[in-house]
Amino acid sequence: MSARSFGSLFMVASCAGAALGCYLVSLRVASERAALEDVETQIVSTQSDLRLLQTEIGTRGRLSQLERWNAGVFQLSAPAATQFVQNGFELARLEQPEQQPDLHAPVVLASAPAPAPRKPQFEQSSGDAGAPTAAPPAAMLHEASLKTETREVPAQAAVVVPQRPASKSANKPVTAAKPALPKSVDKPGLAAANQPARRKSAVQVAVAAKPARKKSVDKPALASAKPVTKHIEVAKVDPLAPLPAKHSGHSKDAPTGR
Amino acid sequence: MNAPQPALVAPRPERLRLVGQRRQTLAIMHQRLMFGMLVYAGLIALIALRILYLAAFGDHAGRKEELTALIPERGDILDRDGQPLARTIDAWTIAVHPNKVIGDKLALAQKLAQLMPEHSAAQYFALLRSDKPFVYLRRRASPELVEAVNALGEPGLALEREPDRLYPQTTLAAHVLGFTNIDGKGAAGAERAFNDELSNPATRGTPIVLSISSKVQQALEAELGDAMQHFSAIGAAGVVMDVHTGEVLAMTSMPTFNPNAPGQGTPDQLFNRATQGVFELGSTFKPFTLAMAMDSGVVSGPAEIMNCPKVLPAYGHLVHDTHPFGRQCSIAEVMMESSNIGMAQIADKLGTERQKAWLKKMGFLDKPEIELKEKGRPLTPGVRWGPFETMTIGFGEGIAVAPLQLAMGYATLFDGGIYHRPTILKIGPGHPLSPGRRVFTADTSYRMRSLLRLVVMKGTGKKADAPGYRVGGKTGTAQKIVDGHYSQHLNLTSFAGVFPMDDPRYVIVVMLDEPKATPETYGFTTAGWNVAPVVSRTISRIAPMLGIAPDMNREPNMSEVLPYVQDAKQDSKKD
Repeated sequence: MSARSFGSLFMVASCAGAALGCYLVSLRVASERAALEDVETQIVSTQSDLRLLQTEIGTRGRLSQLERWNAGVFQLSAPAATQFVQNGFELARLEQPEQQPDLHAPVVLASAPAPAPRKPQFEQSSGDAGAPTAAPPAAMLHEASLKTETREVPAQAAVVVPQRPASKSANKPVTAAKPALPKSVDKPGLAAANQPARRKSAVQVAVAAKPARKKSVDKPALASAKPVTKHIEVAKVDPLAPLPAKHSGHSKDAPTGR
Repeated sequence: MNAPQPALVAPRPERLRLVGQRRQTLAIMHQRLMFGMLVYAGLIALIALRILYLAAFGDHAGRKEELTALIPERGDILDRDGQPLARTIDAWTIAVHPNKVIGDKLALAQKLAQLMPEHSAAQYFALLRSDKPFVYLRRRASPELVEAVNALGEPGLALEREPDRLYPQTTLAAHVLGFTNIDGKGAAGAERAFNDELSNPATRGTPIVLSISSKVQQALEAELGDAMQHFSAIGAAGVVMDVHTGEVLAMTSMPTFNPNAPGQGTPDQLFNRATQGVFELGSTFKPFTLAMAMDSGVVSGPAEIMNCPKVLPAYGHLVHDTHPFGRQCSIAEVMMESSNIGMAQIADKLGTERQKAWLKKMGFLDKPEIELKEKGRPLTPGVRWGPFETMTIGFGEGIAVAPLQLAMGYATLFDGGIYHRPTILKIGPGHPLSPGRRVFTADTSYRMRSLLRLVVMKGTGKKADAPGYRVGGKTGTAQKIVDGHYSQHLNLTSFAGVFPMDDPRYVIVVMLDEPKATPETYGFTTAGWNVAPVVSRTISRIAPMLGIAPDMNREPNMSEVLPYVQDAKQDSKKD
């Protein structure tokens, strides 16, 4: 009875509750939307600030002002047609190796025997070049080795390098290796400045030198001596043209031999 | 109670009627009450439903709908790279309500005179004592000034922000942009031409993108301004146009004005010489005459030989050349040395009617079809257009057109002979390329390339050459008409150039009004000496920006003309 009579009341209450719930949801939605709109408004006002600042910067840095500085103050002018490069090759062509006056270069040239006639002189010089190229393999490898701190640096200095030291190096490997060391420091620089061909050979040799260098670190005396003697033999046989090829061949041999 | 009782006595009829009436009135009352209640409930329900609806779907009170997108008061104008050329900003204005001033008016007037010295303290004082309700003291005031005025603390001073049109590049492209009047309506240039789009709330959100490139415009203005100053010219005009689309990349007229303060501009400054002014442009017309003649079959080509006497008597007049040949010459030479005599004969062969038809087809007898409203109507001999006038028009005298039209003509000639209407709007999705109209044949267009390149390589336009950019073109020196006669001293020099000539892409037309001789021009005032260098310098600057790589190894097919040129004279003294 009572429940039945309160039934309508419950109904009303539940309806009111549902309506309230719905209202709360919509209120929540509305407040979210309001927050979103605030953000949007903020964005718009920021945009308008940006616009204002951009306009100000644009006005201060207007082209006529830039022109006044460029043409009037800095005296700039339009690039000429020759200042444009069409492609990467032209760009690379602009880059030339710098001609650095190498202080060590004249010393070597002065020591070269001058009096011979031209051609021979050239040959000799190239032969001279050949001999060092024979030496450099040894030189290079020694240069890179970490034995610098060791004892007798002096006596068998650069001048004697060409062929003798090599044969000697068979006898006294350590000393032969040592003098080659400072020399090699000079030589590559010189080669780079004057004789690209020679430089090439030096590079090739450097490849060969690496394994040998390792060895020299491992067992100083005997090991380092062996490759040196080999190279020198080659240089004796053929100092001129086929040098690089032979060298490379040898340099290949040397590692495989070990 | 009302149940019928056995009628002992017959009821009185009045009573019966009374009962019926009462019932009836009661029923009516019930009905009315019910009706009123229903109406009332309906109203309440309506209101409740509305409230519910609003609660569910309505907007809240603080909604600012108009702020959800940034729509300026007036649309922006951008250049083709998106750089703003005209914008509307909120500027500070300083105003005063004289009747609301509560402080000491004399002291206030003195302080105002210190801050804004355009008026004296006495004037400010008179203003403050007047009974005007509102007076502007300064529009577009600087923030520092506003701050200083605000620091005066006078409540009668009003500091407000109001939309104001700003041209960030100041004088750049002033004649193309135009300006707005005090009410914010476009009064000239693009502001006037596109006023509806710029002010309509539906369309002003999207900026108007012009075909103008501000960098090209700046280069043209700077070089032309230098030349104008150097040669003490009274005016100048320049146009750079895209050959293939008719887009105007730069257009200037000098002297110029500052659109931020258009009121300070003189009528001479506000006058757009590039579109409004019509000038007899002289020999720059000759390529058109030759193209017409070649297309009509009157002339076979650059190789044709004609008689070039020192003086040509024609129709009761004498035609002169600055550097007469006095021998047989080829068409290529006529063009290279800009011979009036040769060109007059070609025009004579063409005939008046055909010339008119061609000029009409090229659009030289009507106003240019550009969007700007400031356009001049070309001047022609009109009814006096006889055979001699045909001859003079053949070498560019007797017809006056705007520099823009000249550029348009060259664009037509070198776009394979197809005319596109010139436009200051960027060609793009919103503004497609206008359909072209064939004027010249493609073959004629192709053959003109080497002829005009020849003029710059060996002829009168040598100083216009920009190495590597294959410039071709034609100089033009016209005598100005003073008091009805051609002046011997006052010239109007022009140059119409096209580059790169092996594949034409851009036209440049430059004009100087009354240039004076200088020591380095050896006393000459002809186009080869004053405007041609402007073209050279401008092209050297703008061509890389326009994506044209310099190439010293490319040229148009010069074997078409070089064999027909005899002993090229190394002078560029003539027009």
